Amino acid sequence: MTQAEIKLCSLLLQEHFGEIVEKIGVHLIRTGSQPLRVIAHDTGTSLDQVKKALCVLIQHNLVIYQVHKRGVVEYEAQCSQVLRMLRYPRYIYTTKTLYSDTGELIVEELLLNGKLTMSAVVKKVADRLTETMEDGKTIDYAEVSNTFVRLADTHFVQRCPLVPNTENSDPGPPPPAPTLVVNEKDMYLVPKLSLIGKGKRRRSSDEDTAGEPKAKRPKHTTDNKEPVPDDGIYWQVNLDRFHQHFRDQAIVSAVANRMDQTSSEIVRTMLRMSEITTPSSAPFTQPLSSNEIFRSLPIGYNISKQVLDQYLTLLADDPLEFVGKSGDSGGGMYVINLHKALASLATATLESVIQERFGSRCARIFRLVLQKKHLEQKQVEDFAMIPAKEAKDMLYKMLSENFISLQEIPKTPDHAPSRTFYLYTVNILSAARMLLHRCYKSIANLIERRQFETKENKRLLEKSQRVEAIIASMQATGAEEAQLQEIEEMITAPERQQLETLKRNVNKLDASEIQVDETIFLLESYIESTMKRQ
Amino acid sequence: MAEVKVKVQLPDADPVEIENRIIELCHQFPHGITDQVIQNEMPHIEAQQRAVAINRLLSMGQLDLLRSNTGLLYRIKDSQNAGKMKGSDNQEKLVYQIIEDAGNKGIWSRDIRYKSNLPLTEINKILKNLESKKLIKAVKSVAASKKKVYMLYNLQPDRSVTGGAWYSDQDFESEFVEVLNQQCFKFLQTKAETARESKQNPMIQRNSSFASSHEVWKYICELGISKVELSMEDIETILNTLIYDGKVEMTIIAAKEGTVGSVDGHMKLYRAVSPIIPPTGLVRAPCGLCPVFDDCHEGGEISPSNCIYMTEWLEF
Repeated sequence: MTQAEIKLCSLLLQEHFGEIVEKIGVHLIRTGSQPLRVIAHDTGTSLDQVKKALCVLIQHNLVIYQVHKRGVVEYEAQCSQVLRMLRYPRYIYTTKTLYSDTGELIVEELLLNGKLTMSAVVKKVADRLTETMEDGKTIDYAEVSNTFVRLADTHFVQRCPLVPNTENSDPGPPPPAPTLVVNEKDMYLVPKLSLIGKGKRRRSSDEDTAGEPKAKRPKHTTDNKEPVPDDGIYWQVNLDRFHQHFRDQAIVSAVANRMDQTSSEIVRTMLRMSEITTPSSAPFTQPLSSNEIFRSLPIGYNISKQVLDQYLTLLADDPLEFVGKSGDSGGGMYVINLHKALASLATATLESVIQERFGSRCARIFRLVLQKKHLEQKQVEDFAMIPAKEAKDMLYKMLSENFISLQEIPKTPDHAPSRTFYLYTVNILSAARMLLHRCYKSIANLIERRQFETKENKRLLEKSQRVEAIIASMQATGAEEAQLQEIEEMITAPERQQLETLKRNVNKLDASEIQVDETIFLLESYIESTMKRQ
Repeated sequence: MAEVKVKVQLPDADPVEIENRIIELCHQFPHGITDQVIQNEMPHIEAQQRAVAINRLLSMGQLDLLRSNTGLLYRIKDSQNAGKMKGSDNQEKLVYQIIEDAGNKGIWSRDIRYKSNLPLTEINKILKNLESKKLIKAVKSVAASKKKVYMLYNLQPDRSVTGGAWYSDQDFESEFVEVLNQQCFKFLQTKAETARESKQNPMIQRNSSFASSHEVWKYICELGISKVELSMEDIETILNTLIYDGKVEMTIIAAKEGTVGSVDGHMKLYRAVSPIIPPTGLVRAPCGLCPVFDDCHEGGEISPSNCIYMTEWLEF
């Protein structure tokens, strides 16, 4: 784990879970897998607190445990999972676009609580939805359950691994930590529950205030004391499926930018058809015949079969090479070349970064070296049609930032510089890794700045909170208009403006974090896909 | 009384006669004659006399001495050139010949030295002499600006030395290249747009958005923005820079020989395209473009809390 990643993980853990969890989590990330006592000893926290912190981390799938030899249980932190926490807003937003508010709230609850049973989710979501509706209306549990079932069918939520039911009568003592197994077939099987009920409205409103970070409640209290029928069947969000969805979105928008809307719709259809059938890390989707695609096109698009065939041919011939033709049966079999698509997207990201940082001429040189693989200094100047001095300057600048590297080819065994060829080349994988590292550090910077801005204006924020609380309580007890006015004026106009600026800045920094996370997603997917192929 | 031996001299043995015969032979065989040929013609002349005659002709500048793989060749020299070199000595003639052989591309002074085995000072003197006589000229090479190549006065320097259409007086014409770049791109862009508006079936739409390099060349010639005549290869290099800019893509199709613009049975087609992703998320944050990124850490001189770039960015 690089320094930048550890810093980012520590910031995220602190923001979402607090100091103690952060200390334990960072310690585990730094030192790898360790048993319980060693953690307590090294971090200097009491055993009790360490246990609680580990509970929190395990609940959120950030730490896994394993039984090693001699019965020692070791805990290991998963840094990549911690970094996923940056992406939670994007997951929630995607579900909102696909399954509207109900789905959004389901996923939000699951992300907030790590793992939940279905009945608990349904109850909570129904309660929340009812709050936002007008008086007198409530949400039926059945509606929420339906959305939940749909989410499970499309694999967006999945069952957590369970303790296996050991039928044997094992005389020995139970193992110190259970080994969880997950049954592949049952992963998306929704238990048959008959959840009857309606959402309840809470009496006293007890909302979180705007500036406070979300604090995790270690236990969630259940109102019902009777055992629920699906006890023990916990659900979690399937992050891989969301990643697949994001990847598909990126590919479709790339096709739309390069070609036209109809082609992108065709590609979207093809991707949708291979959602369930193709594993997310495969380099190619399953071959789809043109007839199948024609039948699965969305209903609004009535293009004739001939036109569809033409579009498919055009897609297959395009220099982008996102779509390939793999055979002729069934009117032509087409695959989507996922690895190539990710590579093109990662390359486009690199090019865009170079263009914004160094200028479009530098971008021209970069693309030139990328296409021609290895070039000498003189050839670079000739092909790019840039004067020699400027070309040299740009090449050296990019070289110092490690976007371009040099390959030496000596003419003589003594490697004398005057008798060696120096060729410029681009290695996309290493450049992508370098850029990824930079992204992590950037996000850490943005988070730090956000916290700094909030801390600066802490006094003001506290004051505004107090005023709001006073107003709310006075409203509840029925105060007059004049008194309310008086209280509101406790916050002066410049202070109000300061608050406005603060809110705007914090929003901007937040939005920027999410944007940088998009870059991280593309680069990570590309690196993962390349590593799998090797 | 001593006997006087009278050597009978045949009329052909007169040195001047020998020279004239040799010159006639040379005229007969303009490509050059070997020693063997002369010997065959005049078998009664001794080798020594032949050598004397040939040497005289060479020093008078009427014969050229060439080496071929069969031996030495003698060739009649152009009478015009013969007049020029009067008054120059052998070394100068040698240097001149070397420069003449270099033809269009010219030759560097160090290469002249290697070929003639003359010392540097001599070479410099001779070159200055020849230049003042307006027989040779020095042309600055565009590749290495310190190097001067010498060639005959009346020759046009080759493209590789002057750099062709993109260089005027050894200077790379960046604005000219930029203007051409933009014009070509605009042409391709409008073509793609008209194709998109036409809303016919996608195949036709796609094919009509392509333009061959020949079409672009014709368009640029008609625009008349270039004072220098541009060839199709020049336009292709400009279009290649557009490809490296990511604005244009190229395909090669097979074309019949004889269709306009086809080279060796294939044609290059170009099409304007738009980038596949919008500017990426990292560059929208100030950290993505920060020049002091590596020095920035919490608690240091440059840190996220007091970053001036962030402050400016937040004020937008």
